[in-house]
Amino acid sequence: MTVLRRFEIHQPASALEASQMLSHYGDEAGVYAGGTELLLAMKHEALSYRHLIDVKVIPGLNSIDQRDGVIEIGATTTHRSIERSPVVRQRQPVLAELESRVANVRVRGTGTLGGNLCFGEPHSDPATLLLVLEGALKLESAAGAREIPVGEFIAGAYANALLPDEILTKIIVPCAQPNQRAAYLKFQVHERPAMGLALWLETPDGGRSFTAARVAVGCACPSPTRAPAAEKFLVEKRLPDAAEAIADAADLAADHEGSVEYKRNLIRVLLRRAFLRALKEEEQ
Amino acid sequence: MSEFTTVNHSVPRGDGIAKVTGSAIYASDIGLEHMAWAKVLRSPFAHARIVSIDASAAKRQPGVLDVLTADGLAGLSPYYGHAVKDHPLLAIGKVRFVGEPVAAVIAEDEPSAQEAVKKIVVKYEELTPVLDVDTALSAGAPLVHDKEYAGGAFRGFDDFPEGTGNICQAVHVEWGDVESALASAAHVAEGEFYFPMVYAYAMEPYVAVADYNSKSQLTVYSSAQHPFIVRHDLARVFGLPLANVRVIVPFVGGGYGSKSYTKVEPLAAACSWRTGRPVKFRLSVEEAMLTTRGDDARVRIRTAMDADGHLVARQATIHLNTGAYAENSPMVARKAANRIVGPYRIPNVKVDCLAVYTNTVPASSYRGLGGAQVTFPAESQIDELAEMTGCDPLQFRLENLAHRRESIHPGMRPIDADVPGDICQAADLLGWKEPLAPGHGRSICCSATDAGAHPVTLAMVQVYGDGSVSVMSGSTELGQGSHTVLAQIAAEEVGVPLERVRLVGSDTTVTLFERSTGASRTTTLMGRAVLEACREAIAQCKSMAAELLGVPAEELVEERGGIRCGQTRLTWAGIVERYFEMEGCSILGRAYLRKAGDLTLIPAFWEIGVVGLEMEVDEDTGKISVDSMVTIGDVGLAIHPAMTEGQDLGAATMGLGASLFEELIYDGQQLTNGTMLEYRVPRFSDMARNIQMKLVENRDGVGPYGAKGGGEGAVNPIGPCLANALYRATGVRIRTLPLTPERVWTALQQKRS
Amino acid sequence: MKIVFELNRKPVELDIEPSETLAEVLRDRCRLTGVKVSCEAQVCGSCTVLVNQLPVSACTCLAYEVRGRRVTTIEGLADESGRLHPLQQAFLDHFAFQCGFCTPGMILAAKALLDENADPTDEEMIAHMDGNLCRCTGYLPILKAIRQASMAMRGQQ
Repeated sequence: MTVLRRFEIHQPASALEASQMLSHYGDEAGVYAGGTELLLAMKHEALSYRHLIDVKVIPGLNSIDQRDGVIEIGATTTHRSIERSPVVRQRQPVLAELESRVANVRVRGTGTLGGNLCFGEPHSDPATLLLVLEGALKLESAAGAREIPVGEFIAGAYANALLPDEILTKIIVPCAQPNQRAAYLKFQVHERPAMGLALWLETPDGGRSFTAARVAVGCACPSPTRAPAAEKFLVEKRLPDAAEAIADAADLAADHEGSVEYKRNLIRVLLRRAFLRALKEEEQ
Repeated sequence: MSEFTTVNHSVPRGDGIAKVTGSAIYASDIGLEHMAWAKVLRSPFAHARIVSIDASAAKRQPGVLDVLTADGLAGLSPYYGHAVKDHPLLAIGKVRFVGEPVAAVIAEDEPSAQEAVKKIVVKYEELTPVLDVDTALSAGAPLVHDKEYAGGAFRGFDDFPEGTGNICQAVHVEWGDVESALASAAHVAEGEFYFPMVYAYAMEPYVAVADYNSKSQLTVYSSAQHPFIVRHDLARVFGLPLANVRVIVPFVGGGYGSKSYTKVEPLAAACSWRTGRPVKFRLSVEEAMLTTRGDDARVRIRTAMDADGHLVARQATIHLNTGAYAENSPMVARKAANRIVGPYRIPNVKVDCLAVYTNTVPASSYRGLGGAQVTFPAESQIDELAEMTGCDPLQFRLENLAHRRESIHPGMRPIDADVPGDICQAADLLGWKEPLAPGHGRSICCSATDAGAHPVTLAMVQVYGDGSVSVMSGSTELGQGSHTVLAQIAAEEVGVPLERVRLVGSDTTVTLFERSTGASRTTTLMGRAVLEACREAIAQCKSMAAELLGVPAEELVEERGGIRCGQTRLTWAGIVERYFEMEGCSILGRAYLRKAGDLTLIPAFWEIGVVGLEMEVDEDTGKISVDSMVTIGDVGLAIHPAMTEGQDLGAATMGLGASLFEELIYDGQQLTNGTMLEYRVPRFSDMARNIQMKLVENRDGVGPYGAKGGGEGAVNPIGPCLANALYRATGVRIRTLPLTPERVWTALQQKRS
Repeated sequence: MKIVFELNRKPVELDIEPSETLAEVLRDRCRLTGVKVSCEAQVCGSCTVLVNQLPVSACTCLAYEVRGRRVTTIEGLADESGRLHPLQQAFLDHFAFQCGFCTPGMILAAKALLDENADPTDEEMIAHMDGNLCRCTGYLPILKAIRQASMAMRGQQ
């Protein structure tokens, strides 16, 4: 059995205190939420911290609230809580559905959405969807709070835009509107998905025409990638062109999950199926 | 109504309560007083000379008792191996694969040992590694081993020619005149096939707790499948008499061949020998993946038939990637060469099989022992030939399968099963003649494997005066149900309720020698030994009864559980108690099976694997899913029907893994997917939507009541079944496993263009 | 650090290192060796225990996390009189294990499912159990056992 190197756990009473702790301990401190990715990385000594700041104990950080057309999800909310949240299921069902398929039942019960986003594991699901939903993240530190779009937060594999003393406190997800459709599909052989593809469509007429579209691909590239060039093709229902544009936008690399050519194919297939799923049509 | 009281019934498992309540003890649960812990430093290079090892910083770390390196092995015979003694306890002078143990830290606790390992500084001088079989066999290739080794304990049991260069073992099988038969054949299928490097993933990683005491008595608790072979290796390493080496195997958390033979025990024992403390040495799964794997195999094969649709010849060259040490690969090579023939009448056969050393993780037994590797090419080619003649593949098989008592292998036991009947049953269950939906394919494949290994199996039973029985068996309980089955046999024979039978074992000091627990042998050989031991005890009881009653033994009438003589009825237990006139006594029955009598012919039995399945392929992604799966277990008599079916389903599922996604992948020297995050084994969602298991009970085996073993047969036909069904669904023939979505998709693309 | 929690219906107070995993504490300190450790990557589920009725990978969960919570291991599943839980009985009846190494985690994962979904469909069972690996059985007997337990727990034996 691999044993974790010793560390201390700190329990901040607020986001502000967590930020102060991060400043105080510097590189020796890490933010600890669900721990599903962090503890694994620490077991393998890919990461090594002497101090873990347990943000789960901060009051109010695991709530899910709806206001002004958005859902505010506390950063330490578990995948399971989001999957089961009546608010999320009703107002952004595609997110609830995605969460119900993250990893396995144990990871969903302990892993948090905030932790998932901060860790930036390239094969994780939620960031890809949040990109097309145009979610935003609230970051707090002793210097104050700021809100940035998910797209600006993602800074590559295992990288994010957090300042050294900042913590993620809220994930802000727009509620689905009646003229919007969305789908997230993934293709998986191994424990982690080989590809995730998120699609968002705005349709004034129940799917006959489109006024806007967003698409992003994840797992197959260093970090989830939105493909603006593909989005105009989508509006025109030119799916094959859109697929090529997505593949061009994503920094696809050959690995155990497949060659670049195979991943381009998966994009074509998932895009077509996501389109049908978003419009609730079964593929023939 | 069964003629049996206990056997042939799906009685509760003897280990059931312990396993569902968490009280079952595995070697990984064993802790001893004053126990220390060991952790090893592993080589980062595939092939390198060890220039120096500086363990001073590690030794200074608080909690560390000692650091063991090759230098510290002086006084021991530091190489082990039952086939070839080529495996050092710790790398001596050279490392031969990434992950090879170089030094061991013994510390008061595991975290201290783990920390100290990082403080050992080793200087290496890199050597050119040999990373694949082709390179290993090429002229002028660097040698993985540049010295000669002694043969191991079991070398002498087979007439293997010695290997040279990087060849660990060469096996040649030949009869008839293959070249003439190929030249005059009407059709010849020819191709090259590849079966991947797989990891058995026994969920309990390798573990040993060793206690070498001041009286030079060594006790080892281990997760080993074959405690007696481990004992032998340990006795040789430490120069101890066999009586001083005690290997105890509690419950084992999965084996599947991967815990056959000696693994971590010698090093654990050396750590205890060195420190005078009991030492626990347990690996993580990631370390287990760097310890033993299955041989990957490249097979070039030709199979020929005449104009009448009869098989006339098979010629094959099999190259096994054996990795850095021989382990059991010499036997894998022997078995692969035998098993590629399949259950067919083929008058001309020539097989050359090489087990080849490379600088990769050592390969050894894996469920089916070479069977899965060679059944894939063999059965793929049967379908290819059927296709050439426009014949239904089922019909083609029926024309060529050997019938009972026919020989498939000159000099070996004739076929002791009804293979044509078996595949017909599979066809019925699968709905062979039903129309196929688009994207669907169906196939039935079979294999015949020479099972049972070398038949040396000894057993003892005690019949107690109170009507209870204990069975002392050296077979290990890997989950296959040996403890239950052996108890059933004893209960049946002695005529006592199952609850009155206790299984004792495995413990090399208490139980008699059993060569191994593998090769599907336990029910057949140990089951028969237990049966004979019971009958021997009963024979003793009869003589005692004759003496007690003062009558000739012939006048006693044997009934279930005892004898009758006129109006007097005595149970076996009653006889024991009356004979000694003392409560609490028991008598001992014993049986010694060896290669004699009806066990003279090898194999002890042919294990027949028959699987039928229907699959569906998603042509957009290449992903295969299994709709229906049928297994036929031709087992003579199922001592425990439910567990026998469980063996078939388990084996078939393991076969699905290796056929659909399991593969260890090397990038240069490094294993790149050596964690369970990356190495994918079958899950709930991979289950076939319809599963049917059928047992065939013709009582045609040499085991108790005509039983034969199972548990490995169904692993073999899965790969070709999927490949053949894929061909039927799409017209694409793939000769490389696993059939990953990408591999299938790429083949479909190539066909379209 | 001191933690107080409920372990198999009994209160427990332990002084632990913050870096100790729940698996280490349960196996080494509490001697509950029914907690089996295999993949150490939250893939296999063999170390599954229930924390407030939810399945958790004890190998990668800090013992610190169970403070003030209820922990159930396989040793705590039978009732006080020793009567087996319907899942344990069903696993016996269907021979839903062989080597038994995955079994404690498998049974506990199934318990978490049935506690919140008394009558799951096959699809729901497969989705819930998909993160628990068994290398021996091929899964079908486990599925049958969970089905039987579901019926027994709903009084439909």
